[in-house]
Amino acid sequence: MKQAIIKVENLGKQYKKKQALKGISFEVQQGEIFGFLGPSGSGKTTTVKILTSQLIHTTGRVQVLGNDPGRSRRPAFLARIGVLTDNSGLYDRLSVLDNLVLFCRLYGVSEKRAGAVLEAVNLSGDGKTPVGKLSKGMKQRVTLGRAILHEPDILFLDEPTSALDPVNSGRIRETLLEMNRRGTTIFLTTHNMQEAEQLCHRVAFLNNGELSALDTPQALRLRYGDRTITVTTREGSRVIAQNEAGADEVSALMRSGELLAIHSNEPTLGDIFVQLTGRGLE
Amino acid sequence: MLSMRRFKAMVAKEWKDGIRNPHILLNAGMPILLALLFAQKDGDPADLTFLTVPILVAISITGAFVQAAMIAEEKEKNTLRALMLSPATKLEVLAGKSATTVLFALIVIAACIVISGVPDVNIAYLAILSVLLLMIFMALGTVIGLIARTASESSIVGLPVLLFFIFGPIFVPDLDVPVLMNVIRWLPSQQYVVAITELHRDGAFGSIAGQMLNLLAWTALTGALCFLAYGRQRFDK
Ligand SMILES: Nc1ncnc2c1ncn2[C@@H]1O[C@H](COP(=O)(O)OP(=O)(O)OP(=O)(O)O)[C@@H](O)[C@H]1O
Ligand SMILES: [Mg+2]
Repeated sequence: MKQAIIKVENLGKQYKKKQALKGISFEVQQGEIFGFLGPSGSGKTTTVKILTSQLIHTTGRVQVLGNDPGRSRRPAFLARIGVLTDNSGLYDRLSVLDNLVLFCRLYGVSEKRAGAVLEAVNLSGDGKTPVGKLSKGMKQRVTLGRAILHEPDILFLDEPTSALDPVNSGRIRETLLEMNRRGTTIFLTTHNMQEAEQLCHRVAFLNNGELSALDTPQALRLRYGDRTITVTTREGSRVIAQNEAGADEVSALMRSGELLAIHSNEPTLGDIFVQLTGRGLE
Repeated sequence: MLSMRRFKAMVAKEWKDGIRNPHILLNAGMPILLALLFAQKDGDPADLTFLTVPILVAISITGAFVQAAMIAEEKEKNTLRALMLSPATKLEVLAGKSATTVLFALIVIAACIVISGVPDVNIAYLAILSVLLLMIFMALGTVIGLIARTASESSIVGLPVLLFFIFGPIFVPDLDVPVLMNVIRWLPSQQYVVAITELHRDGAFGSIAGQMLNLLAWTALTGALCFLAYGRQRFDK
């Protein structure tokens, strides 16, 4: 039986004027890759900040690794989590390696980890480069490297999309999956549903501070798929329902040799999000 | 609790970063430049201004502005967030910066002394006065750094301090504005200059007891101010 490593109950966050979170509840199991999907302004970053002790929530209960993160800004707790946010900076004048070495020392891990991590984020050739001379995507990969230096129990990734640009995505996705295989729980926020589909065991849909669905991507697709297929003939494409009439139609097309292609109409997570909330993810 | 390992890691980082930071180098270089300028003028050997002002400027500018710039830039570049997400505590971060500021200040003071010479006074007393003055200005620098959101803002917030605390005792005595002089008289920088002059004339501790007391009061006051700003400042919004 897996254990819940993150427990969130009726979590609410009121900024001065804005109610950013309106009582959300979910649990993340140990060893899971959990995706938090929602459009801009839905409250993803707010949730990550609360879970990582950067922000105090206004209502509800939160437990991370058995601690209330708002009250445990303690080194022992912080040493067990890793956080990648879009707004946490690097020292521009220091080299990539010096940036990482500082954090090796702060976390009390061997400085050899800095080199290992550079390899994992595909930057092994750039250790001596001052961070100020790196591109935006490279900087974000350094930040990711910094977040995994100490092999945290939970890794929080707030929109790591630019670190996962197409050129490096393979290598980095491999790194994340490898960490996950070795036991790291990953909490990922994104509005990129492809990223979520490729990585996540379960996804939660956040819209306007409320959760509107939470399940595995397959289960969501099955539940919200409209069970049709698209067939392509010389005359063009058309949608056919998956029923007896549809079966007859397809088999006729097959027999006559007119059928060129056939596709099942599985909805993407993005389609399901629109269906559930009436708005897109982007 | 302060972790020695993390404190040392912070000092090593601050030093490496500081010597590459034009803003900090400028602030550290200014007193040295001033000492060089002062050394060019032929001063009256009895006038201690030539000897005390470079040290005063070295202590105050380096102490206040290097400290302020280091703290403010950490917020400006969002690196503080990363530090605060690591096991490092606010206290360790601040202690690391303070130690580095002291290091910078010692180097600048040494350079100024080499250029303009040491006032002919009891070195132990001079050292005590200087340490107190450095603590006062570092506390002010910490407050400025905590208030300012960016490194350049720290220069702007700090400018009134610069004018008032540092240039007050240098220029106001010649201005003949009694009202202003009445205020300047109580500033730690002015008390420091007066104390050194007294030490030179008399040499006994009794002659500087008043100034010593004033500096101690300033240390307590700025220390409390610093503590207040430190407590109120949430490093993470
Ligand atoms: N410090 C703040 N003060 C006031 N309102 C805030 C603050 N931070 C966020 N908000 C508001 O709370 C809501 C949720 O913001 P949040 O940053 O959590 O969204 P997000 O899902 O991370 O969006 P994005 O995809 O753009 O990063 C937004 O309406 C935002 O305007
Ligand atoms: Mg966000």
